[in-house]
Amino acid sequence: MFGRLLWQLLRGNRGRLAVALVAIVGGGAVISAMFNMEIDVRKKLTQEFRSLGANVVLSGHGAGDQALMRESATEGVVERLQPQGTIASPFLYVVARTAANQPVVLAGTWLDRAPAITPWWQIQGEAILARDDISHCLVGKNVARQFALTPGSDLELRYADKVSHFSVSGIITAGDDEDDQVFANLAVVQNLSGLTDRIAMIQLRVTGSPQAIQSFASQLKIALPDAEARPIRQISETEGSLLARIQLLMITMALLILMLTGLCVFATMAALAMERRADVGLMKALGGSIGRIVRLFLAEVAVLGAVGGVLGYTCGAALTLWAGKRVFGVMISPRLEVLPLTIALMVGVALAGALPLRLLGKVKPAVILRGE
Amino acid sequence: MMARLVQVEGLTKVYGKVRALDGVTFDVEAGEWIAMMGPSGSGKTTLINILGGLDTPTSGCAVVDGVDVARFDEAGLTRYRAEKVGFVFQQFHLVPYLTAIENVMLAQYFHSTTDENEARKALERVGLGDRLTHVPAQLSGGEQQRVAVARSLINHPKLLLADEPTGNLDETNEQIVIDLLRELHVEGHTILMVTHDPSIGRLANRRIDLAHGRLQQIVTISAKD
Repeated sequence: MFGRLLWQLLRGNRGRLAVALVAIVGGGAVISAMFNMEIDVRKKLTQEFRSLGANVVLSGHGAGDQALMRESATEGVVERLQPQGTIASPFLYVVARTAANQPVVLAGTWLDRAPAITPWWQIQGEAILARDDISHCLVGKNVARQFALTPGSDLELRYADKVSHFSVSGIITAGDDEDDQVFANLAVVQNLSGLTDRIAMIQLRVTGSPQAIQSFASQLKIALPDAEARPIRQISETEGSLLARIQLLMITMALLILMLTGLCVFATMAALAMERRADVGLMKALGGSIGRIVRLFLAEVAVLGAVGGVLGYTCGAALTLWAGKRVFGVMISPRLEVLPLTIALMVGVALAGALPLRLLGKVKPAVILRGE
Repeated sequence: MMARLVQVEGLTKVYGKVRALDGVTFDVEAGEWIAMMGPSGSGKTTLINILGGLDTPTSGCAVVDGVDVARFDEAGLTRYRAEKVGFVFQQFHLVPYLTAIENVMLAQYFHSTTDENEARKALERVGLGDRLTHVPAQLSGGEQQRVAVARSLINHPKLLLADEPTGNLDETNEQIVIDLLRELHVEGHTILMVTHDPSIGRLANRRIDLAHGRLQQIVTISAKD
C-alpha cells in the first residue's frame, strides 16, 4: 500500500511537484557537469599548461665559454633524474654572421622538440621535425624582415672560418627574443662554432606539482654543482594556484547551486504542506501516526530527488560534453561514478528542502475536519 | 442485558472563555443507535470529537470499550482512532487523489495491513462495486458518503461516529445512507450520530439533546415514534 500511496501522491500532485523536479534536474545537471569536469579538469589543465612550454631551465655558471656545459654528461644526469613525462631540449647560442657580415644570433637546439618546448611559436612555412636535418633553419620574423627572408630562401652563416648554408624552412613569430634569432639543429651549430659537445642550457618541460618541480630542480643542483637549475616559477606556481582556485570555484558554485535547489524545493514543499493539511488531518483522524504520514511524504520527496538526480545527470552529461569542447577545446567524457553522487546529493537536497513538512506534525485533525 | 460501551461522566471542554461542554454525563450500550441533537454551538461535534479521540476534554471522563480516552497521550489517541472508532463526516473527507478502494484501504493501512479483497467487499456492500477505481471527483455526493461509510467500517470499529452524515446529501442519497446506517444497526453496530433532522433522529434508540454544552434530556424513542 505504501508504494501505491506514494504513486498516487506523485500523480495527484504532479503539477506542483514538476516545479520542484525542474529545479532538481537543473541543479543536478550543473552539479554533475561540474563533477565530471572537476575530475577531468586537472588532466586537461595540465595538458593546457604543458602547452605553455618549459618550466625548468638548467644553465651553467659564469659567463662566455665558461658557462657552457658538456652536453653528454649533463644530459646523462638529466635523463637519470627527470620525472616520467619530462621533455628536455638543449640550447647553444652563438653569434654568427651573414654573407653580408651582419651579426645574427644563431641558436642550436633539437628542433623536433620545439612543439613541446616552445609551443607558442607560430611558424609560417614548415617546421623542422627531424633532429638530423642539417640543411634547414627557422628564422625569427625580425631576422626575416631584416634580411628579406621567406620560406625557401637561402641563408649563409659564418662563424670564424666556417660556413653553413641553410634553406629557410619557416618564419617564427614568438613575440619574444626568438623573433631576433635563427634556429638550426644543435649538431649544426656545434659543428659551425666548433663547440662540439657543448651546450648553454637545457630547457625542460616537467610534469607534476610545483613542489615536485622544485624537488627535481634541487636534485639537479646537487648532481650538477657547476650548473644552475631554476624552476620558472611563474608557470609552475600559477599551475598549482590556478588549479586550487578552479577547485575552490567549483566547490563554491556547487554549494550555491545545492542551496538554490534546496530553496526551490523548500518553497514548493511549503506550498504543498499547506495544501496537504486537510489530507494530513484526515489521515490522522483515520489513525495515521504523524511519523508514518511524514515518512510517506518524505519518500515522495526522495523519489523526486532520485528521479531529478538521474535526469540531472543525463542533462549534465550533455552539458559536460558541450562545456568540454567550448571551454577546454577537448572531449570531457561524463563519468558514471558521478551518477550515484548526483543522485545522493539531489535526494539530500530534496529532503532538506522538505523541511516545511514538519509543520504537518502540528495539524489538529479536529480543526481541519471542521473545515478551518 | 447489553454491555455498556460508552460511559461519559462530567465531561467538560473549555475553549478560552467558552464552555463547549459542561459536565455532560450519559451511557451508551453496545449495539445502540444514539442520535445527538441540539442547536448549533450546543457541543455535539465537540462531544463526538472527544469520543473519537480527535480532541481531549478539559475535565471529566469518556470511557469507550473500557478505556478512558482522556488519559491517552498523542500516540495512544492515534492507536485508539485506528482501532476503536470509525468516522463518517458531513463533508465526506475523502483523499481526492486516491480511488474509492484506495480511500478504504488507507484506513486499513493505518490500522494494520491492507486487504484489497476486503476493501472491495466493503464497497460492494454499500453498492459501489462498480466504482472501485473512481476518484472522489468522479463520484456523486451520495457515493462519496458511501465510500466514507465503507471506510469507517473496514477495521471493524467498536463505535461508529457520524457527524451529520446526510447533511450534504439530496433526498435520494440521504435515504440510501440512512438505510445503510439502519442495516449496520440491525447487524449490531453501535452508532452515535449527530443530526439536525428530527426524522432521522427518530430512527435511533435514544436521543440525547444538548444545549449550550449541557445535557438537556435523554429521550428513549419507541417504535411508534
